[in-house]
Formats: sequence, structure tokens, C-alpha cells
Amino acid sequence: MILPTSEQKEQWEEEGYLVFENAIQGEDLKRLQNAFDYWADDCKADWLDSVEAGDTVATFYDIPNPLEKDPIFIDIIDYPSYYGALMEFTDHDLILLGPQVRTVAPWPVSYTGWHPDVSQSNPLHIKVQIYVNDVERGGGEFGFVPGSHKPDAGPYTRPMRQESMPGHKTFPGKAGTAIMFNSCGWHVSMDNHSDGPRKSIILIYEKRTPGRIGPEQYASISGYCQTPERRKLFSLDG
Amino acid sequence: MPRIDAHLHVFTKASAEFPRETSDVWPAEREESVEKLLVEMEKHQIDQAVLVQMAGASIEQHRYLLQCLKEHSNRFLGIGLVPEGHPNPTDHMVELTDNTGIIGFRFSDFGGPRDIFAKMDVREFAAYPIWKCAAERDYVLWLYPNAINAHLLPYLIQEFPQVRVVLNHLAVCPGKGKFSWDEFGRPQIQVTGYNLTMHTTYRLARYENVNVHLSGQYAFSREEFPYKDLAGWHRGLLTAFGAKRLMWATDFPWILEEPGYGKLTTVIEELLPDLSEAELADIMGGNAKRILRFPDL
Repeated sequence: MILPTSEQKEQWEEEGYLVFENAIQGEDLKRLQNAFDYWADDCKADWLDSVEAGDTVATFYDIPNPLEKDPIFIDIIDYPSYYGALMEFTDHDLILLGPQVRTVAPWPVSYTGWHPDVSQSNPLHIKVQIYVNDVERGGGEFGFVPGSHKPDAGPYTRPMRQESMPGHKTFPGKAGTAIMFNSCGWHVSMDNHSDGPRKSIILIYEKRTPGRIGPEQYASISGYCQTPERRKLFSLDG
Repeated sequence: MPRIDAHLHVFTKASAEFPRETSDVWPAEREESVEKLLVEMEKHQIDQAVLVQMAGASIEQHRYLLQCLKEHSNRFLGIGLVPEGHPNPTDHMVELTDNTGIIGFRFSDFGGPRDIFAKMDVREFAAYPIWKCAAERDYVLWLYPNAINAHLLPYLIQEFPQVRVVLNHLAVCPGKGKFSWDEFGRPQIQVTGYNLTMHTTYRLARYENVNVHLSGQYAFSREEFPYKDLAGWHRGLLTAFGAKRLMWATDFPWILEEPGYGKLTTVIEELLPDLSEAELADIMGGNAKRILRFPDL
């Protein structure tokens, strides 16, 4: 486990985010890209039917139940390059809420506006966004307002255009980049004006609270969760 | 400030003079006349309204609408329909708007790629000629997109930024197979608990020519009037579009029996109780007057 440096800890406290370049690389990155592309292609027809039926969103799609589809999607949940920071920031009491293995289409407008995910009263809620392909500026890259996670920050209001958010920073990056952020902070997917989809995985974690995730949630992958640490992370023992 | 009902329907008995389509809900003998509407409007201090064509898209099937607009030209504006697959929609649109009071057209299908990941060439969309005609002749487009069409909208809006767009019924995009009629003869649209339109039509708030009418609550709500489960949707639309681009409407006649026209004149106050008086007045008619250019009374 790679624990965060003092500089990383300070940045996390002050700005609410950390960037891990090359967090996933080499064979692991290839495995991830192959699994992502295979399952995104496999699931696309059903997704389109679901859009037509009005049952799901038209502007992006998530591979359903990814943890059951390929073990690489499980292996990235506690991947060494960022897992230590997650554990440190949650006092080694971390649970997974869920993964979003997401393909975002090029579209004139981003599928979402600036927002925080949770309020300050929520237990520490952390997301890690992993780019599966290279994400250029204007290609649906992640945006964040540094410092907006703090209780005394703001107030913030959602601007009409993503680029009009005061104080924001955007994060283009290479495939394998992981961006960790405090979900109390204001964040967004910038517009994707590129020719291709933005492929990324958003992992959602929280500091454990009793009963937040039941043992049945990830029971189907318990075979991949033999160590006590993983069983705790996936709430398999209640 | 006038109070304007921004979306409703009137129809008369089907006849040689007023041909129209029929169905179980609007059989040939059913009549929901403009006179009946005017009684409700008088009773509840509603000054003007938008009459939206239904039960047929041919020129002949618009006759009753055209008569209503002619006889009450200072009270009503009209929205027409374009027959699906019409070989020359421009001719149809021009004929129906020739000093008639029809100011625009309603449709749901834009005829572009079903897949948002496909290459988009807006000139290849089947609806392109309709939008082009609307842009050239300053028509309003009255849109109730099917769910599979929602992703096509920003391409058309970008191509024709001068076209006034009004998204119907809370900007919902109904899914295929999700439409039915309830025991009160009202349309019902089955929607997901999570509001999917946050990621499609709400995102169009960026375009200043896009407006939304707040109506059809009965069709989406799982509760009775005042449909409090939709308060969040209304707040979301207010936040996204602001009070200057929202218009109240009743969807008469479907609501006559339940909950009744009078109750629906208060639905905005019920669902957006924090509006200022000026904002409420805008939504209840000021915006429709400005955007649709209703005549002074």
C-alpha cells in the first residue's frame, strides 16, 4: 500500500483532490481497456433499447454490473497507486459504494452541470475517476473547483456554461490517470466536443457507517474477495 | 399581465365540415369545444391560450382549429401539426400559417441517428426542412421529443439558434411503450423515479431560445393534485431555465374531470411556493405573451 506523502495530504485537505498520473499502466491498463471496450460494445444494443424505452439516460452509458463481468474491474477498486490514499483519508475504514464504467458520447453540451454529490453532513465521500482512454481538453475531461469541498466555501451556483464556473480547474489526462476528489466539492464533466467518446471509470467510496452497504450487495463476487481487507472494502461481512 | 394557458386542445364532433381522426378517447361524437374552454377561462380569469392541434395533421383536419383562431383572434394562438413523412413540409406549413393565427408546429421525431455515438450531420435529419422553414419564417417549434430523439435536439438548436423552441410537458421525453390512458381519460406516461431529462433536455437551458411549458403533471405524477412528487422537477427546471423561460399550461380538456381546470390554475404556486409575485406572473402568462407574441387584449 502506498500511503500519501505529506504534500499530497496537504493538497487533499486544502484543495480536495489529487491526481495520480500513470496510476494504471502496462499490462493492467491494457487489460482494463480491453475489458472496457469488449463489454461496452457487448452492452450497447441493450442500452439503446433502454434509451428508446425511456428507462435510461441517452447521453452516456454505464456497463451494468461490471464487477461480475471481468476481474480487472474488481482489481482497480483497491489498486495500489491510490488505495493507500483512500485508506489514509478514511482512517482505514473504507467501503465501496459502487463503480460506474462509463462511456460519454461527444455531444454539444455536457450531460451534467456543476454540482457537489453530497452535503457536508455526509460521511466522507470520495470518488476516483480513471481515464481509460486519453482525454484531451474539450474531450469531456473532469472539472473541479479546488477548495469547494470545505464547509466554509462558496456559496456556488451552477453557471449555464461549464467554462464559466469561477475558480475551476480542468483535468485532461492520459489513459491510466486517476483523479481522486472529495465529493462535497463542485465538479463536472466538461463538454465533449471531440470526435470520440470519453471512456472512464468512476469509483465511489465512503467512510464506513454501519449498514450503509449490506453483505448481499457484492455477494456475487465474494470469490474474488478472500482477504479480510477486501471483504471489509466490499462490506461482505456486514 | 395577462394569464395565458400555454398548451391545450379543443376539438368538435367529427364531420364533413370538421374532419378529424377518432379514437376510443376522442370518438366521433365527442366534443371539447372552444366555447366550453372559454367558460373555464372566464371562470378562472385566464385571458388567452395556445390551442394545439390534435387528431389529425392534414390541412383539412386543422379546420376546427383555424375556425377557433379566426373567431377569437385576440384570445388564441395556434400550434399545427405536420404529417409524418410529408413530401413537402414547407408548403404545408406555409399554407397553415397564412394569416391564420397558427404560429408554429408540434412534433416528436427528428429523424436522425438513433445512436448518439453515430456521426451527426444535421442536414441529413428528416426534420431538417421543418427547422429550416421555421427559421426562415419565424415559426415556433413545439417539441415533445421521443426518448430516442432527445440527443438530436442540440444539433438542430445550434444550427437554427433563431428558432423559438418550446419543450412540452416539463421537458419530459416519453419512452416507447410508456403511454396509456387512465380512468379519467387522461394520458399517462410511465417515467423512471430518477429524472433522466436532467441529462438531456434540461441541459438545453444553455440555449437562450429554448423554453419549457410546465404542464401535464397528472401524466407523470404518482400522486393526486397538487402532484408534490414533481416539486423537485419544477425546481430543477426553474434553476436551469430561470423564471423567464417557463410557461404554465393546463393541457385542457384532459384535466377537466380530474383535477379540474380551476385547481390547475394554482399548480405553479403549489409546486414552486417560493416564487416572487413577478416570477409567478411571468410563468402564468408574461413569458407566453413575450415569447409567443400574443396580441394585447
